[in-house]
Amino acid sequence: MMRGLLLKTWHEVWLMTLLFSCALLGVNALLTYVIPQFQEGLMEVLERLPFVRPMLTAMLGTELGDEISAQTFQAFLWVHPTVLALLWAHAIVFCTRMPAGEIDRGTIDVLLGLPVSRRAVYYGEAIVWLAAGLVLLLMGFLGHCLTSSSTPDQLRPEFSHAIKVLTNLYCVYVAVGGISLLVSSLSDRRGRAVAIAFAIVLASFLLNFVAQFWEPAEQVAFLGVMEYYRPAQILQSGDFPAYDVTILLSVGAVATMLGGEVVARRSICTV
Amino acid sequence: MSIIRTEQLSRRYGRRVGVEAIDLEIGAGEVFGFLGPNGSGKTTTIRLLMGFLQPDAGRASVFGLDCWRQSAPLKRDIGYLPGDLRLYPWLTARSALHIFGKIRGVDLSGAGGELAERFRLEMDVRVEKMSRGMRQKLGIILAMAHQPRLLVLDEPTSGLDPLMQEELARSIRELAAAGHTVFFSSHTLSEVESLCDRVAIVREGRIIADERLETLRSNARRTVELVFADKKAAKRAELPSYLQLVRRDGCRCQCELEGPTPPLVHWADGQPLADIGIGPPDLGSVFHKFYESPSEPS
Repeated sequence: MMRGLLLKTWHEVWLMTLLFSCALLGVNALLTYVIPQFQEGLMEVLERLPFVRPMLTAMLGTELGDEISAQTFQAFLWVHPTVLALLWAHAIVFCTRMPAGEIDRGTIDVLLGLPVSRRAVYYGEAIVWLAAGLVLLLMGFLGHCLTSSSTPDQLRPEFSHAIKVLTNLYCVYVAVGGISLLVSSLSDRRGRAVAIAFAIVLASFLLNFVAQFWEPAEQVAFLGVMEYYRPAQILQSGDFPAYDVTILLSVGAVATMLGGEVVARRSICTV
Repeated sequence: MSIIRTEQLSRRYGRRVGVEAIDLEIGAGEVFGFLGPNGSGKTTTIRLLMGFLQPDAGRASVFGLDCWRQSAPLKRDIGYLPGDLRLYPWLTARSALHIFGKIRGVDLSGAGGELAERFRLEMDVRVEKMSRGMRQKLGIILAMAHQPRLLVLDEPTSGLDPLMQEELARSIRELAAAGHTVFFSSHTLSEVESLCDRVAIVREGRIIADERLETLRSNARRTVELVFADKKAAKRAELPSYLQLVRRDGCRCQCELEGPTPPLVHWADGQPLADIGIGPPDLGSVFHKFYESPSEPS
């Protein structure tokens, strides 16, 4: 039964996942090649445009100081808005398919007319989503590896450090996807679910940014997903971000399971 | 044992009534017609039976299993065709039979292929390229391929041409003859009349009649045309109480007969008649009466 459900989900998402993976591969290859060229000019930019500093601090998860270290510079790739946007977009688009997408296009009638529990359908989707996220990040990493030989040695992160950053980023993906699954489970319209999930992620991103210079926002910054993603710190210290990973995975798991319970217990109507 | 059983089954959509106090009991091998105008509660009843909706009150069971709590296992033996069928655009009949077979844990390719041949459906056309009728045929094939003990069809003939409608009717009769149960929802009287053993009429969420088709037929009026020998005889004729005069036109009298025909034949024997014509029971008038006039639920 589960094989059939996984097969059905895979049929529907392989093209989308392939396109996102190729885009991430291309973007990462390009950014890995391009970012080092800006190293010298960046401090000038920060002096001319002071608002850029808190934004970068928020995204990198570390204070920039007077000099930007090589490790901090290595982290730029993993916080670049294009990279994050691609990952979040994939998580949101994927995770609003069931049940909001199925109800919206009316296919849920046929799907639930089969001898499958709603939990099986929901978790079948979640399994493929988690696997697709892994493929996505590995393709992104592959893109980075393709052009990293062109960068100076000091701007090339150690392999083990890069894996730790990737793990942290995957956990961000899991948290965003989990929240999207929960939103989807409460909705009958996919467009609405996508909009709400996107608004939550955007609010989380902005909260992280505003918290750099506004104390009230700092008090609630722990609510933002980006608070638990600090690639520059990982690259500097080489420590595994166990606390951040635990928080992100917990958010993702709890939201996913809550969504599963909602799906299992709610009435479903395509009218 | 009942295949379908509902007791006081009710479901509201906010303040609007979906269905109210539905009591049904359908046995094995029955072809049960569920007849009602659009928005009368037919699809809501089906959604409750399929476990898509949770009842507000009452309960529904299929094969003795609760439709809400045990919805997954009971659907092993159900074939379901939704009223507004939407299929995945990338599916073909072949891939649908493969994937649905995997989910059901049975190989559907053989039986599905035979049905596709019977309904003249190409196996490798994608749903997005199919006409409405082709999609409907695929939905029917997917509902029937695993030889379900219960087939739930919500307005199954929509989009089908008359030949395919006849093919569907034949398939349903074969299933019923083999002891399978068919729950057939429709708003078209002629379909139900030609296929079903028993009919429930639903209006504004309530069942207002649940009868065997013969009973409905025996209660239905017949059109009777009496042709008298001359105009005078037609004018003088005293009609019995069970015969209502609708129109007199010269020596012809158009009437409606309530009840059985033998008393009419007996009465006609003593009349100066040149000819007599008795039409079949007019079920349409019965259904129109139910739809149009408010009545107490049965």
